[in-house]
Amino acid sequence: MPNQNQITEKESLEIITSMIQKAKGTYYETGIGPILWGSVVSFASFVTFLQMKYEFTIGFDVWLLVLFAIIPQIMISMREKKTGRIKKYEDDALDTVWLVFGISLFCLIVYRNAVPSVTTRLIAAEGWQMMKHYTDGSKPDEPLIPFVPSFYSIYIMLYAFPTLVTGLVKKFRPMIYGAILSYGLFVMSCFTTSWNDMLLGTITALLCWLIPGILLRRKYLAQKTAKANV
Amino acid sequence: MFKELDPILHSQLRLAVMSLLIGVKEAEFTFIREKTNATAGNLSVQVQKLKEAGYIEVVKQFKDNYPLTTCKITPKGIEAFDAYVQALQQYLQAGQG
Repeated sequence: MPNQNQITEKESLEIITSMIQKAKGTYYETGIGPILWGSVVSFASFVTFLQMKYEFTIGFDVWLLVLFAIIPQIMISMREKKTGRIKKYEDDALDTVWLVFGISLFCLIVYRNAVPSVTTRLIAAEGWQMMKHYTDGSKPDEPLIPFVPSFYSIYIMLYAFPTLVTGLVKKFRPMIYGAILSYGLFVMSCFTTSWNDMLLGTITALLCWLIPGILLRRKYLAQKTAKANV
Repeated sequence: MFKELDPILHSQLRLAVMSLLIGVKEAEFTFIREKTNATAGNLSVQVQKLKEAGYIEVVKQFKDNYPLTTCKITPKGIEAFDAYVQALQQYLQAGQG
């Protein structure tokens, strides 16, 4: 762009509009993060669904994969920060939303793992226990560990929250639609069995992260290719 | 009575730089150069003028042994840009009337 001082008012307006559009239309997110989380969470949910429905076990907790995915995520974030050539105003706020989402998820995992055994101990101290009673008398009563029914519904609802915020702030429709559909899946999951909730959770992870991540990646790569061809 | 257009901003490249920076928190020099299609030398001169006017902040640092220059619009720059756009609107409205 030449530096000419003699520009008309109309040209000034054109420059302003075109530059603002250029800054707006820059896809600096690579999409790898959503693809990673979408893949891991949908895989873990689906394996859990299969285990619950067909009553088998793979021998280890598949959700450990989610824990291990934190390592590549940290590496991706560091690399994206290094290559990120612009920073938008909303970036810090969105990073905070995802951080709070991670903390909330962690708290939910602690709750899910701690509450049943703690409740069992507390009620045992009071001298009683929960029992599973078959109304048709087909099986004898058996002790029951306290649990929250349809617990994965809470996760589905939680998955949709940061996705909707990001989609609305970034005006990225695939995430907005994915999150809205996920809220619908949350409502549906309140009326289904626990193993079906896992299947709905699989779909949620696909809608919220994997599909938007792939679309984001395609846009990013298309932009990179276009830049290389200039 | 028309407001005078700010001479610092009423230049093709400087206006382009400010228009880019108004929509982002900060941008690297290479990003600005790529979007404005300017040469590094010309852009450096114009960025320096904007910096001297207090419209932008320029941070120079090293990343992986390479120099990295980041530009960020200042509150004074936002104010000046806003005034420039308002003055521009006056001119354009007068032109239409």
